[in-house]
Amino acid sequence: MSESEKTERLVNAYLANLPTPDGAEVDGKVLAEALTAMQQAKSQRAADTSRITWRTIMTSRAGKLAAAAVIVAAVLSLTVFDGLTRSTWAMEDAIEALKDFRAVYLVGAFPGGTAEVWMRANETRTQSTDVVVKGSHGTITWTQDGSTYHYEPSQNTLYYEPALTLGMAEWLGPELLEMLSAADNAQTVRGKDPATGRDRVMLLCSLIDVHGAQSWIIEFDAASKLPVAMKQWPNLDRSGPPAFDAFKITYYEDLPDSVFDIRIPPQAKHVEKPLTIPEEAAGILSDPHDGISAEGMTQQEATEKVVRALYQAVIDQDLDGLKTISPLCRNWGDEFRHKIIFKPDQDNRIVEIVEVGPICRTGQSKLGPIVAVPTTVRLKNGKKVEEKMIVQFRTLGGQSSCVVHGIYGLPRQIE
Amino acid sequence: MIEDRLLVWRFNRGDTAALCRIYEKHRDGLLKVAAALLSDKSGVEDVLHDVFVEFAQSTGRFRLKGSLKGYLAICVANRARDRNRTVRRRDSVNLDGVLPQRADANRPEHVAMSREFVAQLDTAMAELPDEQREVIVLHLQSRLRFREIARLQGISVNTAQSRYRYGLDKLRSSLNSEVRS
Repeated sequence: MSESEKTERLVNAYLANLPTPDGAEVDGKVLAEALTAMQQAKSQRAADTSRITWRTIMTSRAGKLAAAAVIVAAVLSLTVFDGLTRSTWAMEDAIEALKDFRAVYLVGAFPGGTAEVWMRANETRTQSTDVVVKGSHGTITWTQDGSTYHYEPSQNTLYYEPALTLGMAEWLGPELLEMLSAADNAQTVRGKDPATGRDRVMLLCSLIDVHGAQSWIIEFDAASKLPVAMKQWPNLDRSGPPAFDAFKITYYEDLPDSVFDIRIPPQAKHVEKPLTIPEEAAGILSDPHDGISAEGMTQQEATEKVVRALYQAVIDQDLDGLKTISPLCRNWGDEFRHKIIFKPDQDNRIVEIVEVGPICRTGQSKLGPIVAVPTTVRLKNGKKVEEKMIVQFRTLGGQSSCVVHGIYGLPRQIE
Repeated sequence: MIEDRLLVWRFNRGDTAALCRIYEKHRDGLLKVAAALLSDKSGVEDVLHDVFVEFAQSTGRFRLKGSLKGYLAICVANRARDRNRTVRRRDSVNLDGVLPQRADANRPEHVAMSREFVAQLDTAMAELPDEQREVIVLHLQSRLRFREIARLQGISVNTAQSRYRYGLDKLRSSLNSEVRS
């Protein structure tokens, strides 16, 4: 045992022996006053909230403001709109019209029911922060404090996930427009709305991202140049019923906090949602030539090494390196990758790896263990962002190796 | 960790039972941290009181980054440091009578350590610079990683590790000289 270890042992024993006030005696003073302080804070907060005023946009405009339909596509992270058209003829006007709005409400149908969605952007309007989705059968999914919750009333169970896996990685604005203009494999179809006779432009797009295969139709009104509807499918060819069909959308400058204040029965069971990746990702992630060797390394060491290699490829704008470390990127066009990931001309491009943290979650895929690890990076504008990355471990040909599957949830600005 | 996040979520919605649970869960550990960091041990309860009252007032707007245990432990450390600045460090250690003590005779380390040696270590700890003592206590008592300590204290991981190492070295040196004299 080294001298340091001996000293540590002594200090541990000292701390264990350290006398402290009797807990029961402390409770009477500390807890009682803390509870009083909490009640007072609640009363004050309720009074403050009632004074908040917010303006609802008139419903006559609501039908035009459909761009937010994309929100139900869950988190698309780096790849939100891969596959959309270069024809941004409608989007510039649409986004210009939407730029004053920080919140949105929409109603849509999914197989077996309908759902209402409320969503609000962060203060800088770069991405969504608060999202609530209420299903017609009483299910509620929402985000709060960097976590995502799903309440299943039939089981009286609250499922929990410590990441923002619901929302928009890019809020409506210039960055989103940049994404749309960078995509390269979408189709534009013109026609008339059979119900109203109005001219329509529909953008058809599809991609495989961290959530698996997805495809969309986003419908724009040709006259107003604003999106008016959206459908999303869980496959690449828009086959079968859509996973979500948004048909009513309303925009707000803001929404009160109470909209996002969800209450569930106190007796609900709490269950951590397992860390998973889509099954179809296994094929893409199973090429032995991709990733790095994990031989002789702990999971933490290998994870840190592969994640650092990923971000270094991003910083160096090394496209081949990026594809090798994160094979899912091969599904996207080079121009899209360049603009969305490398962001060569933007202030929010990654310039430094600050820290790769300890593994925060573990799970299992068909290929083997998966882990999630938080990484702090610095952007060119000086801000620090935390992104969680999922790393897939696999044993191929008797050799242990790992690749980056992709981002886990939305990035979070931390400084 | 997950339970803490759910508790914070409930706490932010005004659930007083959540505050009670948070308090019960972390009370003992935080009392230890305060006792280890304060020069004036009679302030242990006051520090815990201030930390929890301030925490309670944040209901509805508290944002948890990292672990709740780490956050509360750092709050205690900060309060203890402020208090130490205003209270002259004691000249001698008196473990008798100042505090009602909780006997924990089931823990072997409690039995194994003599009161005299506790007093020696207490003195040695008190002589450490605040920042070194904090890192030692947060790491060994609250089981916080250096990474988390660094983040919560706004210092680099290397700095946190250095403070820990220098602190241990000083403790060892103090104890050795104590033994020799």
